[in-house]
Amino acid sequence: MPGIKTGDDGKHLLTGATGFLGSHIMAGLLLKGKGVVIAGRPVGGKSLQARIRELLNWFGIEHLEGLLEFHESDFLKIRLGLGKNKYESLGGRGLPIIHCASDTRFAEKNRAQVMQSNVESLNEILNFACQSRARCFHLISSAYAAGVDNIECPEAPVHAAHFNNVYEESKAQAENFVSARCRSAGLPYTIIRPSIVYGDSLTGRSLRFNALYFPVRSMQQIRDIYLDEIKNHNGKKSAECGIVLNGEGVLRLPIRIFIPHEGKINLIPVNYFTKAILSILERPVNKAIYHVTSNHPESMARLASYAERFLKISGIEVVIGTAAADKMRNPPEELFDHFIKAYRPYISDQRIFKRKNTDRATGGILPPAFSYEIFERCMAFAVSADWGKKLFC
Amino acid sequence: MNDVLQTAKSCRHYAMCKIDFLGSGLCESGAKKHYVCFYPQGRMDLYAALAEDRIPVTEKCVEIAESCDLCGKCDYQCYFVTEMKPSAVMRALKEHIALHLKSGGEVLAAEKDSILDGLKEIVGEYWASNDRAVALTYAHDPCPMAEPRPPEYVIMPESTAEISAVITLLNRHKIPYAVRGNGSSVMGFVMSEGAVIDLGRMKTIDFDEKNWLVKVGPGVAAFDLQKAAVARGFRVNVAEPAALVCANIMCSGIFSTFSTSYGTAADNYIDAEFVGHDGEVFRLSDKSAPNLFAFHKEDAAIPGICSAAYVKLHPIAADEGAAFVPFASLERALDFTRECAMRRIGLAIGVLGGEYISVFLSPTKKLAAEVKDTFRDKLKIEYLVLVIGDQYALASIKAMGYHYFDNRMIRTLNLGLPSLTSAKWLDLLDEFADGEPFSYIGLKRFPDLAEAALAPSPAQLVRDVDPELRPFFEKLYSRPEITDPVWLNMFRIISSRMGREKHVVALIIYLPIDNKLITEMNSEFKRIAASHGLKNDFGFITPLDDGKRCVFEYDYYLDQNDPDEKAKMRQAMMEAGVMIERFSAETGTVTWIKHVFCQGFSRKESFLYSAAGNEPCPE
Repeated sequence: MPGIKTGDDGKHLLTGATGFLGSHIMAGLLLKGKGVVIAGRPVGGKSLQARIRELLNWFGIEHLEGLLEFHESDFLKIRLGLGKNKYESLGGRGLPIIHCASDTRFAEKNRAQVMQSNVESLNEILNFACQSRARCFHLISSAYAAGVDNIECPEAPVHAAHFNNVYEESKAQAENFVSARCRSAGLPYTIIRPSIVYGDSLTGRSLRFNALYFPVRSMQQIRDIYLDEIKNHNGKKSAECGIVLNGEGVLRLPIRIFIPHEGKINLIPVNYFTKAILSILERPVNKAIYHVTSNHPESMARLASYAERFLKISGIEVVIGTAAADKMRNPPEELFDHFIKAYRPYISDQRIFKRKNTDRATGGILPPAFSYEIFERCMAFAVSADWGKKLFC
Repeated sequence: MNDVLQTAKSCRHYAMCKIDFLGSGLCESGAKKHYVCFYPQGRMDLYAALAEDRIPVTEKCVEIAESCDLCGKCDYQCYFVTEMKPSAVMRALKEHIALHLKSGGEVLAAEKDSILDGLKEIVGEYWASNDRAVALTYAHDPCPMAEPRPPEYVIMPESTAEISAVITLLNRHKIPYAVRGNGSSVMGFVMSEGAVIDLGRMKTIDFDEKNWLVKVGPGVAAFDLQKAAVARGFRVNVAEPAALVCANIMCSGIFSTFSTSYGTAADNYIDAEFVGHDGEVFRLSDKSAPNLFAFHKEDAAIPGICSAAYVKLHPIAADEGAAFVPFASLERALDFTRECAMRRIGLAIGVLGGEYISVFLSPTKKLAAEVKDTFRDKLKIEYLVLVIGDQYALASIKAMGYHYFDNRMIRTLNLGLPSLTSAKWLDLLDEFADGEPFSYIGLKRFPDLAEAALAPSPAQLVRDVDPELRPFFEKLYSRPEITDPVWLNMFRIISSRMGREKHVVALIIYLPIDNKLITEMNSEFKRIAASHGLKNDFGFITPLDDGKRCVFEYDYYLDQNDPDEKAKMRQAMMEAGVMIERFSAETGTVTWIKHVFCQGFSRKESFLYSAAGNEPCPE
């Protein structure tokens, strides 16, 4: 595959910089001394610049703000919502584009918005990329855009017809749309597909607390309900469900986690993701697809044991199969089962992501094994940040 | 202004001190002497007037003050509604009078008056008065449009014959009069410089079970009638608990959430007895009676004094329960409501806004504010549609695919409200909804989990209640009916809490359940109030006539003692009126309740459908 010449000044235009992955890409580029042109929206009365400044503070790199440029844009509007002059002036620079903006919701009820954000908005962005003769268009997609038709997922265009949810489907459509438009316009492009990204494996810090965090958080909340009931309200309700607090302060919480089949959860830390992306951006290969994934996904049983240890609970059991609603052992089991419904495909995933291109781009650096120490670090940070509510306090 | 005077001037005139809605007993002097001034409501007004030197101490003042035994029942009742404790005012009134008497102050005797003598001859010595202290308590209410108008005479007849004789006498002397039943009064309708005829002594309730009716005297309050009906296994369609049944029918017709199935206006009664303005008595079923079934879009006068109404009785099924169906948008709530009404699912239906729910369920203002935020921000519930029905109706809602809070869950939520407001786990419910809002309610074991999580108990619910009253309230909330949504909807004792923070002015219209029209008018009501800086909120919507129409209430709130806010309210009400008339003219389907006033005996079809009665009969 032919190599792509990177921008002379190393600057990139980045969308989705206020998101989890986008912000880490931004920080990674800045720390390498590279300028970033941020395109995005103000939200809730907060300007794009103010939102980014908050993130720079969080990363502790506010001194690098001078390397940033801000363009408040709306990808659903003609010319990205920019004035004609601004649009042309920005386009004239031919910057490589990293498109990271994405709606990551799974629920079918959000189909219209997810499709609009992840697919329809590409039209104007790609118009801009083509008109500006961008040096390269990098789409941050998802490993799960591969769909569920095949267990083996190569770093190749998606041909799947079946997906777990609208998010995966939208990402597959986005990939096909980007490759078709770029090919016809002769625009170099890459597609980067991360799996499930959690916090920094070294510091535990994170800006998002979904995916890996959701089941732990819900387990913690369920634990707290019953701890409170036992400590402050006679524990009768807990006892009815077989929930007891032992002398060591460990709560026995008999909950079965039902997964449809043996499978694993593919996790990578955000620091690894950033490192891999920066390597790819250094020497991007036109039309290449990169799986930024783990070769050693974790089993749900092990994650459950981590969660038990971290939360000081016992009684969590991973069960292969589907539980009938009327066969639920107790209210917390039923509630937990309901909570993880959307995540079930990802905690019992059988897909294997090949990563030849990524290995080549990163020199074969792999994500760290997901140890209890990393888990504890990440969850301790999540708890201290109140699962995101106290992030910027 | 000191706290006692502030309390005295903040009486909402909802008349909840005139009914024993908590089972804690009634003010003894009020029950015996009937005049408003012998109830806590009247004493509040009287004390405020004396403290501000607006009236002299009269003979009745002394009697009123001395008749209060400081039993404290009014504290239970008023605190339940407004969080105020009127006994401080009662005490201050007694002290004021005692001090006045001790210091040798003058006590003004009632003036001699031949008309008064004539009135007393009809109703008895005690039941007609021109004492200024008595008149004062009939002079005003919190309506921002009404100026105080103390009457010359207050008369309390005991029978239809006495009403007739009183009217004849007043007519002879060309004395204008207003009629009231001594229930709640918030619209400024029951004042007159001439005479106020208070029918509060006429409290007869006679059941005719064979004919599914109950004959109700004009002094009977909704709560008392419902209580008597329920004791016999029936239900009546009534309004707010302290509202007088006959007066309510006369005023605007009775509507409640039960109007979904029981209807409104003429649907609620079988017959009625009147004393005409000429003093003649007639029954509505008389062939020669005036046609009160008709309706004319005009500011009408009352067609006479309703001296009895023959109200319909309805059966109660043993398996009735409530469903509170949550919605994140008004449009979805309306879709569901329309569908239920059209399919005749449920006996009572009401779309309720966040303000209603939180205020109704919470014993304190503070908790109500927290609950409102919790419902909206954490549970993402903007509207709840209440449906009361039998097991088949409730099963239908489930079959339609809706999740709802049932009786058990409502009780849990109500008694666990303080825990709800601090529950971290609520955040998860919406985040994990997986595209199906409120799906957690449908979990089979969710009620068990909610009980574990919220630890519902009367003690928990009342933990912020005034310590002095807390034991009473804890006992009160231990009674199952106080958290039973079916009972609460029949007796409506919590709806008066709407006025807890500020006096409420209800803007009420009839219109089709048309999402676009309702959301537009809802926005307009909101915009107008907001432009004047007035607190405002969606009230409720109840479908009528199989969902072809509905009654929609939007509420504006004001501090009744703040002249500036009163002026703003007057302006806002005027603008809202113009807005309603505009929609009415444009659509031909919107009827403002203002035009129904004094025509509440009419057929609902006469005012719900603009074609009715608006074209002359062919010659």
